[in-house]
Amino acid sequence: MRKILEARSINKKVDLGKENELHILKDVNLEIEEGEFVSVMGPSGSGKTTLLYNVSGMDRITSGSMKFKGREIGRLKEEELAKIRLETMGFIFQDINLLKNLSLIDNVMFPALVSKDADKNAVYEKAKKLLELTGIEKLADNNVTQGSGGQLQRVGICRALINNPDIIFGDEPTGALDSKSTEEIMSILAEVNQKGTTVMLVTHDVKVAAKTERVLYMVDGNLVAQKKMRKYDARHDDIKEREESIMKWLVENGF
Amino acid sequence: MFLKIIKNDFLRNKIVTMTVYVFITMAVILAASAINNIANLIQSISDLQESAVPADITVMHAGEYNQAEIDQFTERYRDHIATQETMVLQNIDGSNIHFGQNQTMAGTIQDISFVVQNKKFDFILDLDNEKLDVNEGFVAVPIYFMEQHDLKIGDTITVKSGGYEKEFVISDYARDFEMNSSLTSSKRFVINQNDYDEMLEIEALELEYLIEFKLNENGDSAAVQTAYIEAGLPANGPIIEGKIFTMFNAMSDMAVAIVIIFISILLIVIASLCIRLTFLATIDEDIREIGVMKAMGISKKDIKKVYLNKYRVISAAAGIIGYLMSFAAVNLLNGNMRLYISSDLSGSLKYVLSLIAPLLVYFMIVMYCQQVLKRIDKISAVEALRKDSMERGKNRKYSFPLLKNKFFSTNIYMGLRDVWKRFKLYRLLFVIFIVCTFIVILPLNIYNTMNSPEFSTYMGIGKSDMRIDLRRTDTITEDFKKLQEELQNDSDIEKYAAYITSSYQVKNAEGSWDYMNIETGDFSVFPLKYLEGRAPQGEAEISLSFANASKDGLNKKVGDEVVVKVAGIENTLEVTGVYQDITNGGKTAKAHTSLGVNEEAVLWYIVSMDVASGVDVREKMDYYQNTYDSAQVNDIKEYTGQTLGNIIDQMSLIVIGGMAIAVIIAVLITALFLRMLLSKDMSQIAIMRSMGLTSKNIKHQYMAGTMMVLILGIIVGVLAANFLGGFLVSMAMSSMGAAKIQLVNVAWQTWLLCPLALIVVVGFTISVCCKVTAEDDLSVVLRS
Repeated sequence: MRKILEARSINKKVDLGKENELHILKDVNLEIEEGEFVSVMGPSGSGKTTLLYNVSGMDRITSGSMKFKGREIGRLKEEELAKIRLETMGFIFQDINLLKNLSLIDNVMFPALVSKDADKNAVYEKAKKLLELTGIEKLADNNVTQGSGGQLQRVGICRALINNPDIIFGDEPTGALDSKSTEEIMSILAEVNQKGTTVMLVTHDVKVAAKTERVLYMVDGNLVAQKKMRKYDARHDDIKEREESIMKWLVENGF
Repeated sequence: MFLKIIKNDFLRNKIVTMTVYVFITMAVILAASAINNIANLIQSISDLQESAVPADITVMHAGEYNQAEIDQFTERYRDHIATQETMVLQNIDGSNIHFGQNQTMAGTIQDISFVVQNKKFDFILDLDNEKLDVNEGFVAVPIYFMEQHDLKIGDTITVKSGGYEKEFVISDYARDFEMNSSLTSSKRFVINQNDYDEMLEIEALELEYLIEFKLNENGDSAAVQTAYIEAGLPANGPIIEGKIFTMFNAMSDMAVAIVIIFISILLIVIASLCIRLTFLATIDEDIREIGVMKAMGISKKDIKKVYLNKYRVISAAAGIIGYLMSFAAVNLLNGNMRLYISSDLSGSLKYVLSLIAPLLVYFMIVMYCQQVLKRIDKISAVEALRKDSMERGKNRKYSFPLLKNKFFSTNIYMGLRDVWKRFKLYRLLFVIFIVCTFIVILPLNIYNTMNSPEFSTYMGIGKSDMRIDLRRTDTITEDFKKLQEELQNDSDIEKYAAYITSSYQVKNAEGSWDYMNIETGDFSVFPLKYLEGRAPQGEAEISLSFANASKDGLNKKVGDEVVVKVAGIENTLEVTGVYQDITNGGKTAKAHTSLGVNEEAVLWYIVSMDVASGVDVREKMDYYQNTYDSAQVNDIKEYTGQTLGNIIDQMSLIVIGGMAIAVIIAVLITALFLRMLLSKDMSQIAIMRSMGLTSKNIKHQYMAGTMMVLILGIIVGVLAANFLGGFLVSMAMSSMGAAKIQLVNVAWQTWLLCPLALIVVVGFTISVCCKVTAEDDLSVVLRS
C-alpha cells in the first residue's frame, strides 16, 4: 500500500502576541495509507482538529515535513495547495459550511465547475447521482436554510465527493447531529471508503471511531497512541464489541 | 462610559469612521462656504449699491436730444422722481481702441463708450468702491476688458479715429454697478473732462444718452416709464429698470453657490450611505452584543444611544471643523465677486448665515441614523443570540442556478449573481457610481451646451453661419439698406435674412399700454426651434418669448391675441408660437415684416446669413467688418461665447472640479465598500478556499460583481445626466427665459471618455482592494 499522508516531526505554533506562543502540535509523526479509514480522538484542546488542518495543507505547519502522495506540501505556494485541495481532497465540517447564496445542488456542483474545462451537464448528472445516493435528491433546488442538519451534512459529503477526491477529511462531521443521522452519515462514509477513498475523521464519539479501522489518540499536541482494527463490516462485526474495546483502550491511555 | 464605547468603536472601525467624518466635514465646508458666499454677495451688492447709487430707471437714446424737455418732465413728476442726470456716452468702435502690441478691441460684442463721472448718482467706482476721479491722460477701464485682454494698471490704450489719436494710461479698474456684467452689452470707460471734451472732435463719433432717473422712496417706476413714453420724450433705446442690474451682478456667483450647495447635498447623501453601510456591516458582528444588552434588560432607547452617540460626536466635530475651514475655502470661490462687486468682504452676516450649514448637517445625520437604527427594535434578544438570525426565514425563489450560466466562467458568474442576490448591499455602491457619473456628465453637458452653436436656440436666434449687428448710429438706416443690397449681389452668400428690432406699445394684461421690443423680418429663412407653435408667417401673427408669454409677462398662450400699436393704429395679432430667449431680460417678440416698422423707435438691425459652401466664413466676416465700421460681425458661437462670457469659464472650472470630486468619492467609497464586503464575507471566502479556490479565483468574483455595478451605475448616471439634467437646468434657467433646455451630449465624451476614465480609476481601485489574504490559516476563520 502506498502512503497518502506522511508527517515527519510536524510542529504547529501560534503566536498570540506579547511573546505569548501556543505550541499546539509537538513533533507529530504520522503515516496514512491509501484506502485507510482513520479517526482521531482526544480531549478538547488536544490538537486533533489542528492536526487535521495541518496534514491537509489548509493550515501551514511551523516546522517538520508534510507529504501528500509523496509530495512535500508544507512549503507549497497558495495556488498549488488550492489546486491539490480542489482536485484530490474533500472536506466535511461540523458546521457544514455551505455557500449561502447557492441552492443545495449548486453547492455540490460548484467545486467541479470552478475548473476551466468542466462539462456542465456531466457535472450536473454527477451531482444528481450523488444526491440520489445520499437520499436527498428531492431537496436539490432548496436553499441552504431549507433542510435538517443531517440532510445538509449529506450535501456537504456530496460536495466533498464531486471531484472524485483521493482523501476526505472530516472535522467532527457528526458532531452536531442526532444519533440516527450520525449513523446514516457514517454508513455513507464507510461506503465511500469501501470504494477506495481514504477517510480521516476527527471525532469525540466512540460510536463513530468504532466504524473506522484505525484510531489515533492525541493528548496535549502529542500523538500518544493508536489502535489498529479490522475494517468494519456490519455483517460480521459486532459494533458494541468494537466500541467497548476502543473505550477500554482509551482509558488505558489516560482518557 | 459612553465615551469609552465611542472610543472603542472608533478604534475598531478606524477607516470607516474617518471616511464618514471626512465626508461630513467636506459637506459642511462646501455648504458653509456656499452660504458664506451668498451672504457676502447680498452684503457686498448692497454695499456696492450704496456707493454706486445706481439709477432706478435708465433710458437709452441716440440721436436728437433736448435736456430742457427732460427737465420739464422731471419737474412735472417730482412726486416720483428725486433727481435726474443725463450721461453722454461717446461711443467708439472696438477697432479704434489699440493696446499691447498691435491689438485692438475689434470684434467685441460690447458697445464701448467713453464717459465722464456723473455728478449726482450712478457713479462708476474703483476697486475700493470709491468714486473714480480720473486725471488728464488717464483712463479707468471696465473690469470686463481688463480680464478679457489681461490689461494691467500702468498699461496704455490708444484711441485712434480719423485724425484723432490719443494715448491713455490705465489708472484704475472701473467697477460699474450698471454695466459690470457680461450680460449687459455696454461697457463704460471713464476719462477726465478735458480729455472727454477733446475727444468730442472725432468725426465719426456717435453720442448716446443715458437719461437716468433716481426715484423717491415711494416712486412708482412703472408709472414714470409709461409717462415718459407717453410724453414722447427721446427713447429709441431700451428702458432698463435698476433691479435688472442687481440681478445681472449676482447671477454668476449665485449660480456657482447653487452648484456647490448641490454638491454638498450629494456629499451628505454619500455620508449617510456610508453610515448605513457601516451599520449593515457591523450589525452582524454586533448582533450578539445587542442581544446580550437586551437580555440584560437595557432598553432599546439606551442601546440606540450607544450607536447614535458615535454619530453625534462625529457630526458635531465635523460641523465645527467644517464651519471653521469654510472661511478659508470660501476664498477659492469669491475671486469673481472680489473683482466685480467688492474687494472688501468683511461683512459679519456670513458668520451667522453659514452656521445654518453645520446645524442642518448635524440634524440630518442624526435623524438619518435614528431611521437606520430602527432595525434594532426588530431584533429580539433570543433571535440575536442565535447565529444567522438575519438570514433565516428568507425562502425566496432560487434564481440564477449555476447550470444556466452559458457565457461566463463560474467565478465571474458567481460575482455577477451575488450582486443580484444581495442588491441591498451593493445598492450603496450603485448609487455612488450613479452620483459620480452624474456630477461629471451634467456639468460637462452644460459646458458643451453653452459652447455649442445650438445654444443660439435659447437666445432666440436661428442657427446661421454669421450675423451682423447694426446699432444706433446716424447712418444706421443707410448702412442697413446698403448692406442688404450688397448681400443680394454677393454670390458667396447663400442666403440671408434681415431683422429690425423696434419698440412698440403693447396692451398688457391689465389693459394699459406697455412697451415691448418686437423683432420683425422673415423667420422662415433661419428657423428657430419653438417650444410651442411656429414662427409668425404672415400678417397679424406674432410669437412671444417664453418669459413674455408667462404670467409675469403678457400671460398669453398660442392662439391668444395681442394688441400692438403701430404708427398710432391698433393691430390685433395672433400668438403663433412661444420660443426661448435669455437675451434682453428674456422678454422679446417676433412678428412678420408686414407688421411694419416703428421708424421712430428702431433699436437695432440684425442680418443673419449663411455663406455658400467652400467660402471661408472668417474671410467673409473680416470683409464685412472692414466695410461696415459700425457693424459687429460675429459667428454665432462667438456671439454666444462673448455674451455668456465668464459663466462659461466658471462652468469649465466646475467640470474639472466635478471630475476630481467624482473620482475621489468613487475611489474612496469603492475601497471602503470592498473592505467591508470582504470582512463581512470572511467565512464564505474561507469556505471557498477550503474547497480549493485560489485567492485569485475569489478576487475575480468580487471584481466581476463590483465592475458590473460600476458599469450599470455609469449607464444610469449618464442617462440621468442626459434626461434629468436637462430638466434641472431648464428649471434653473426658466426664470431667465429658457424653459426647455436640451443638453448637448457629445457622445464620445459622455459615453466613452468619462466612463472609460471612471472604469480605469475605479477598476484599478477594485483590483487593488480585492485582496483576499491567503497567508492566514484557514482554520482560524472556519472554526471561529
